[in-house]
Amino acid sequence: MTTAVLDRGTARPRLQAGLTEAWRSAVLGPLPCSVMFGTAALLMATGTLPVTDVELVLAGLATALAAITTAWLSPSAGHVRAVAVPLANLGAVGLVYAGTDSPAALFLLVSPLYGLVSHPRRAGVATAVLGTLTVLLVPELLGAGSSSWATEPASLVLGPLVVGLGGAAVHESGRRLTAQAAAIQRLQDEQAALLEQVQSRADELDQASRILAARAQTMTSVIDAVTEQSIIGTDPDGTIRVWNPGAEKLLGLLRADVVRQRSIVEFHLPEELEEVAAAHGAAVGLDALVHAAQEHGSDVRDWTYVGADGRTRTVSVAVTPRTDDRGVHAGWNFVGTDMTEVRATERMKDQFVSLISHELRTPLTSILGYLELVLDDEDRTLTDEQRQYLSTVERNADRLLRLVGDLLFTARVEAGQFTLQPEDVDLVGIVRAAEETARVAAATAGVELVVEVPDDAVVVSGDAVRLGQACDNLVSNAVKFTPAGGRVTLTVEADRQDGRPVARMSVRDTGIGIPNDEQGKLFTRFFRASTATRNAVPGVGLGLTITKAITTAHGGSLDLASVEGEGTTFTLTLPREA
Amino acid sequence: MDEARHTLVPAPRRPADPAPVRVLVADDEDDIRSLVCVAVAKSGGVVVDSVADGTAALTAARAGSPDVVVLDVSMPGATGLEVCAALRAEPSTAGIRVLLLSAGASLDDVAVGLAAGADAYLAKPFAVSGLVHQLRTLTERQPA
Repeated sequence: MTTAVLDRGTARPRLQAGLTEAWRSAVLGPLPCSVMFGTAALLMATGTLPVTDVELVLAGLATALAAITTAWLSPSAGHVRAVAVPLANLGAVGLVYAGTDSPAALFLLVSPLYGLVSHPRRAGVATAVLGTLTVLLVPELLGAGSSSWATEPASLVLGPLVVGLGGAAVHESGRRLTAQAAAIQRLQDEQAALLEQVQSRADELDQASRILAARAQTMTSVIDAVTEQSIIGTDPDGTIRVWNPGAEKLLGLLRADVVRQRSIVEFHLPEELEEVAAAHGAAVGLDALVHAAQEHGSDVRDWTYVGADGRTRTVSVAVTPRTDDRGVHAGWNFVGTDMTEVRATERMKDQFVSLISHELRTPLTSILGYLELVLDDEDRTLTDEQRQYLSTVERNADRLLRLVGDLLFTARVEAGQFTLQPEDVDLVGIVRAAEETARVAAATAGVELVVEVPDDAVVVSGDAVRLGQACDNLVSNAVKFTPAGGRVTLTVEADRQDGRPVARMSVRDTGIGIPNDEQGKLFTRFFRASTATRNAVPGVGLGLTITKAITTAHGGSLDLASVEGEGTTFTLTLPREA
Repeated sequence: MDEARHTLVPAPRRPADPAPVRVLVADDEDDIRSLVCVAVAKSGGVVVDSVADGTAALTAARAGSPDVVVLDVSMPGATGLEVCAALRAEPSTAGIRVLLLSAGASLDDVAVGLAAGADAYLAKPFAVSGLVHQLRTLTERQPA
């Protein structure tokens, strides 16, 4: 991995730098001096370097020992090691020089002089010159020297001059080396910092790639887990890029045989694409498939898929555009659900409804037709009793006919075959007509019917027949569920809701009410409230379903407020043109 | 409605005498057929003939040239819509008035019936008085 490579790259230079620094500190510090004084002591002990004054030599060596010890113990970058120790060593050299009276002792000058001229400041060179001059004069000053060459003016000038020039050169070289070392150190630090940054970025990239891989894996596993829906993703040109097991199952082709090789268009009926293209002014092919999604953001409709074996399936396909991580259009998603069996069942249901419609309406036609012939026969008058019996038959046949009508209407709504004939409709007229229709039934039940409507028309755009049917249902229900002595009030008002003009038609009764826990189910087909069954109120539970469907088809809402034992108010709210 | 066709191919002119209006009733349901025949006969001055399927209705209409044909939409042989279309397609029968009876009561059903060339459409169950009224209206619209 990248991390391991980077670790090997940084650990070795750090170790080398540590060792180099320790060696450099020792070489530039007390080590040379220690070696030189040690050698001098050895030479003096063996007589190679004759001693003329033992006390001076011992004093010099003691001074040197103290200075060297101090140097070993003090920090490498401090002033003690840089200035005090070399000065002390110069003093020691002077004492040894005086005690031996030999120019050979002057070689001991090398180490402390080097220490002084190596000092970052130029004053070190001047100190070295003065120190050299002092050392040369020490024997004279102490009265111990017998050599005459060292105190000759030439030696006193040339010695410090050599030290000064050489020291200046060494100092300059040292300064440059130090600057270069500092630059190298700086570069090394920068390199190390850069390496750390690179490593950090590499870690981040590594983490990001792991997250991306995990997400991709999650997405793939989810898509692969979908076996009952086809999920097909394409390029902008329709070439398939995603093909899940659901698509494999539905269309009978493996992913490897489809992805990057086939177009989504190949799995559609060409004539269906042509038909849609012609109807919507789209180009034949992919454009026919995606034009609606392109326009509205998504599109769900039935398409006919053609499988590998040529078998066709009716599929409800949701088409949505696909974008990449930069938000650029990258193609299309087609999520399909096989609706072949569902649609077949729906067709069978429609056929069944049609059949039932015919089979129920035909006998009812005979019953009601012959009843009418008998009841209206002017040649043969019926007895009152016969007329009453036949009227009961007629009333129940009418009731049966209404039930058949309601069942058919509900089936038509469910099949999406419910269409409106919109026109301008005055709700005041609708309510008055409903009151007139229910008047006899209300009077028979001992229920007072009250109409509270404005003088002006309240006009909505709608189907007058259906709105009349909805209003009749509500009024008929109210009368049925209101005990004798009660009241049913019909109101119409023009109002505003959420800033938009609406029309409200309410039917309020003082009836038996609907229990709270049953109010939510009231618009469900065939549901009957417990208060209805308890009070033996006739009905099959279709009226409110139909009323709700009519309201919804008009873009309106049907609301209910009821308190058991006190009464119920149904409010039908419809959009109204301002 | 196909009024244009009626104008282009008028029915044969009937004599001015008060000859009875000839009505052909076609319905596969015996009870309905009888009911329609009785109802039609009640209006007076009418001669009623009846058949029980679409093929017979077409044959009888071609042979008898009735003034009005009352057709049930759902019949064996040929549906009322097919019979209606066939009558309209032939010059000799194109002028016959056609009243369709159907259990289909939706606006779509009515539209399909009228598009087939019917002059009127009654949804089952119908009021006998309504049927009689429709027949009178149709016979009054006979070209003079």
